[in-house]
Amino acid sequence: MAQPVPHQATDKKRVKVYELRDNDWFDRGTGFCTATFATTEDGRKDPRVIVESEDQPDRLLLETKIQKEDGFQKQQGKSSPYTLIVWQEPRTGVDMALSFQEAEGCAIIWRFVSSIQQTFHNAMGGAGEGLSDDLAIEVPPTINLPKAELGNLPEIESSMRIMSSTANGRDALSKSIMADDYISKLIPLVEMAEDLESLSDLHRLCNIMKTIILLNDTSIIEHAVSDECVLGVVGALEYDPDFPSHKANHRHWLDNKGRYKEVVPIEDEQTRRKIHQTYRLQYLKDVVLARILDDPTFSVLNSLIFFNQVDIVQHLQSNSSFLADLFAIFASPVRNQKKRKEAVLFIQQCCGIAKNIQPPARQTLYNNFLSHGLLPVINFGLKHNDVEVRVGATDILVSIIDHDPQMIRNTIYRQMHENKPQLTDSLIELLLVEVDLGVKSQISEAIKVLLDLGPPNQPGPENFPKVNGEMHGRPRPQTAMDPQQEVFLTRFYERSAPNLFKPLLDLEHRTDMNFSPQQASMFSYLIEIMCFLVRQHHRFSRYFVLTNNIAERVGQLLNSSEKFLQLVAIRFFRSLIGMQEEFLIKHLTEKAVLGPLLDVLISAVSRDNLLSSASLELFEYIKKENVKDLVKYLVSNYREKLLGLGHMSTFRDLLLRYDQTQGYTVNIDCFLEAEEDVGRRPPPTPTNRMMEHITMDPAEEEYWNAASDPEDEEDHGQEGAGKSTANGSSTPLKPLVDYASDEEADEQAEGTPEKEKEGDDASSTSSGNDPSLSATGPPERIAEKRRREEADDDEIGKLMQNKRRNSSSSASNASVSSSVSRRRKSFTGVSGNNAPKISISLSPALRTGGGARSDEDS
Amino acid sequence: MSDLDRAIAQLRSCRPIPESQVREICHKARELLIEEGNVVTVAAPVTICGDIHGQFHDLMELFRVGGDVPDTNYLFMGDFVDRGFYSLETFLLLLCLKVRYPDRMTLIRGNHESRQITTVYGFYDECIRKYGSANVWRYCCDVFDYLALGAIVLGASNTLSTGTEPVDEDTEIEVCDQSGTVMSRFPRPMPRPNSAEGPARSPNGGGGGSGDRTGPPGSGASGSSGGSIGNPTGAVLCVHGGLSPLIDTVDKIRLIDRKQEVPHEGAMCDLLWSDPDEIDGWGLSPRGAGFLFGADIVKIFNHRNDLSLIARAHQLVMEGFKEMFDASIVTVWSAPNYCYRCGNVAAVLELSEDESGTGLFARSNGDVGRSDGGRGVMMEGETFVRNGPARRYRVFQAAPQDSRGMPAKKPVADYFL
Repeated sequence: MAQPVPHQATDKKRVKVYELRDNDWFDRGTGFCTATFATTEDGRKDPRVIVESEDQPDRLLLETKIQKEDGFQKQQGKSSPYTLIVWQEPRTGVDMALSFQEAEGCAIIWRFVSSIQQTFHNAMGGAGEGLSDDLAIEVPPTINLPKAELGNLPEIESSMRIMSSTANGRDALSKSIMADDYISKLIPLVEMAEDLESLSDLHRLCNIMKTIILLNDTSIIEHAVSDECVLGVVGALEYDPDFPSHKANHRHWLDNKGRYKEVVPIEDEQTRRKIHQTYRLQYLKDVVLARILDDPTFSVLNSLIFFNQVDIVQHLQSNSSFLADLFAIFASPVRNQKKRKEAVLFIQQCCGIAKNIQPPARQTLYNNFLSHGLLPVINFGLKHNDVEVRVGATDILVSIIDHDPQMIRNTIYRQMHENKPQLTDSLIELLLVEVDLGVKSQISEAIKVLLDLGPPNQPGPENFPKVNGEMHGRPRPQTAMDPQQEVFLTRFYERSAPNLFKPLLDLEHRTDMNFSPQQASMFSYLIEIMCFLVRQHHRFSRYFVLTNNIAERVGQLLNSSEKFLQLVAIRFFRSLIGMQEEFLIKHLTEKAVLGPLLDVLISAVSRDNLLSSASLELFEYIKKENVKDLVKYLVSNYREKLLGLGHMSTFRDLLLRYDQTQGYTVNIDCFLEAEEDVGRRPPPTPTNRMMEHITMDPAEEEYWNAASDPEDEEDHGQEGAGKSTANGSSTPLKPLVDYASDEEADEQAEGTPEKEKEGDDASSTSSGNDPSLSATGPPERIAEKRRREEADDDEIGKLMQNKRRNSSSSASNASVSSSVSRRRKSFTGVSGNNAPKISISLSPALRTGGGARSDEDS
Repeated sequence: MSDLDRAIAQLRSCRPIPESQVREICHKARELLIEEGNVVTVAAPVTICGDIHGQFHDLMELFRVGGDVPDTNYLFMGDFVDRGFYSLETFLLLLCLKVRYPDRMTLIRGNHESRQITTVYGFYDECIRKYGSANVWRYCCDVFDYLALGAIVLGASNTLSTGTEPVDEDTEIEVCDQSGTVMSRFPRPMPRPNSAEGPARSPNGGGGGSGDRTGPPGSGASGSSGGSIGNPTGAVLCVHGGLSPLIDTVDKIRLIDRKQEVPHEGAMCDLLWSDPDEIDGWGLSPRGAGFLFGADIVKIFNHRNDLSLIARAHQLVMEGFKEMFDASIVTVWSAPNYCYRCGNVAAVLELSEDESGTGLFARSNGDVGRSDGGRGVMMEGETFVRNGPARRYRVFQAAPQDSRGMPAKKPVADYFL
């Protein structure tokens, strides 16, 4: 066998290796590609494609064996040079792609690959060496499709169906369809059949066309959406035999040239073609084939679209004259409003596409946009009186912020230094006046992200992912706060925040709590932002809350007749309490907001509605966490009210706790927790709050330690847990109460053999959480996945830092009684038990969770 | 005709309503939903439905088979959106009906009623395609946050209401096809011979079965120990996914502050994500959220909470419904030919009203003094199973092709790129 084996040393081709994950091409790295024969252990020579990493030449990015069934394919438009090779890894079934820098490099590797594949092909034909007889029998049938004529349609249909049922048949069929340009021959038949009004022929043509497309051959699909073919192809697909009484109007839709808008003419012929092609592919995917698409075809269409979009974006951003023209629209003295609107929408669409492409390419695009003056455009758009433009502008802003808020923040810093009006201020201004609720909510999200600076802040010690929007604080490497941020935040709280929260502050002189829907939604956004600030910027926001008497203002909303505003207020107090921060707690007691809150609960409790459950949750939290000052405050001021609610264990326990301690702070948890055997119990997560340690008062620390230590030592031999510090900041929380004691208490109290059962429950639960189990999470169902943005991963990761299943993990540790391990449990245990959980990060959860497996799920 | 009725009519013909109207309806819905507890109490008769997943025409078929609103009371157990091509019309129609007939429609939250999931599985894209912006998606997601997490059906009868054909009093399960023809019936299993009471009959009694009749397929219902005379049925808990290790009583569900995006963990997440499985105790869910739970968990939970049955959705079952663990839990699936290609049938579960008056029982999700309910399950040394309500499953297939247009997504109108 004479193989044109490329010479190893000189033929290294620079490539990027991609892997299809979640229908997104994941970049595995850049390296140099060689195709060669590797000698296996038993002396055989295996043809392999190898990619060595560019940065670490020792590392292999890829090593794959060429097998017949690999189905390596070369990709790219017909006229443009081939630079892609795609295949499916036979072992893992993962779709892979090699993207070559040079078409020439691709051609060389491809020559090798195809010659190998050809050999296999021949070998099978001639029952060649090293291949089993079974395989040899599967000689691909020589394809001789009947001539494309109306009379032959039944025959064509049946022979295609038969052939497409085997892999070999499909290969052969694809080849012959391309070789004979069979699609072009079928197309005239559609009109002929239409003229003859022969529905049966049209149905057959539709079936034939479906079969051809579902062959899932990229070159066929590209050909089918080419200018020459597309109308004929979708024309045939209009007559779906599954819907005999319907005819789709695909041709009408696609033929409408007016759908393509050109704000600035795109000169490059190839790019323009790709734009049209991409639109058609999307139409094919979403409309024509939506119902019948199988997963392989779905991913082929998606990857064709993806690579096209990469090229389009690449072309646009590197075309500086184009960008100059685009942004000149906004600068030109001739105010062409329509043109400007379209330009905003164009940029919006650009950013929308950019979300799907690789981050570096996205970064360059945004950089180019920004350097050409995107911010003024956003500013222009945000103030436009056409809501569509405002939506577009916020979309653009949010997509950049989602990509990297620092890009925008840096611009804001610059504005700050130049004493120009800041973007945050215009956003705040807009939030207050915007009437479109959608834009409003996006702006409030944007404000939150822009203000989300500094070290990773966990959302309060309770780790309760309360943030409602899509946006959560992003984890970022822990660094000292950069002085710029410091200035930025100082200014924000000095100047911007009073503006932002003005409506809230203005409540002071208002007694009537009836608001227009506009105002009401405004308050809900403002308070949501406030909750966020409380969690994120501890020091700054606390000062702001205290000096502006925010608790009292928000408390006023409890009198609103709008239940959702009452709810928003309750949730705000819950956030404050959740911080477990002395000053905030004191603020709450001084402003006496819990009394009205109890009133709300008392009036709602018989109704069993959202208000009652939200306020119950709040009091339950106070009880569970034993927020001592609040327990004391509540019982000493509202004993009657609490007694009135005594039919609920939460309030009984609050009273009991107070009475047993006379308001002093002895830990009687294990006693009270008896009834809570499977209750949720927030973890004593070390709080990495910003600047916390600076403000921590030593006396306060001592107080906490003193409060929780003696009992712990007695009961559990837990030494100095309270004095320990985690991650350098002292934790204001007492250590987790041991659930074993609950069970013991159970047992003592009831003398039932229940414990054994409960123990079983607990242990099986904990085995469910066993990190080793979870680490081997289920394989992701690639085919079922749909696009996900990377941001989601961050977000899930972030959420996953929140501890899961406290009860079970503590239960599983229950047997450990030595003080050393107990201490470890209270600190590292939290992360130790859960860190593996984090690393698998439940992403399969969401990905496969909705996954439409036919045998499970939903 | 009010605006609302007009909106309903327009949505029934599968045409989206204007954005401003969506906003208004979502606002009204929010006012209603805020008044609902995390676990809504629903009185029988009621028809319980599982996942719909944007299959609008099949929802119409469901209403045809199960009776139209407001003639039939409905309880939908979530997953209205995603996957199908008409999530928007489906959800908005259900929401409009909820606003129009608040007492006759109950909607609870499924795992797909979440921002994160809908951005991945289709609803978000659909809103963008149909309205050009994400506003409508945002309004809907706000409503999602207010949806109840579960429902308790009270007052379900031990006997089936008379359908097209007369029903024996001891029929526990009846399966009908989409035209209402009875396909099969299963009598209530006989009480155990050593049960204190004899096989005397009573409207609510479980007696009267003869010997060794087998339970319905898959139910494994063969001689439960329940069903003494006059023993009323327990309540039926409806929840999208299943149980949570953090929830041992129904009352615990009330302590969740539900107005939030579905979290990735915790009780609220579990209720929407868990699945029953043939295991002991709890297991890790392959979905990555929620848990798997076994028969023992279900039985203990049902006993502790005085439930006779848990109805849930969340998993595709080819037959439309599947009873598990001695009929202590049932999966109901209401999206026929799921994703337009799974080839399954769908079902709804009808619980009829107990008219005899003997079936009054304490609200098992009641306010007072029940927080220790269920202590001592194991003391009895055996699992005690509540007598289940009589159940009629109406099985139906995908809407006939001609009744709908070709299912397809709406294409993007204009494009720059």
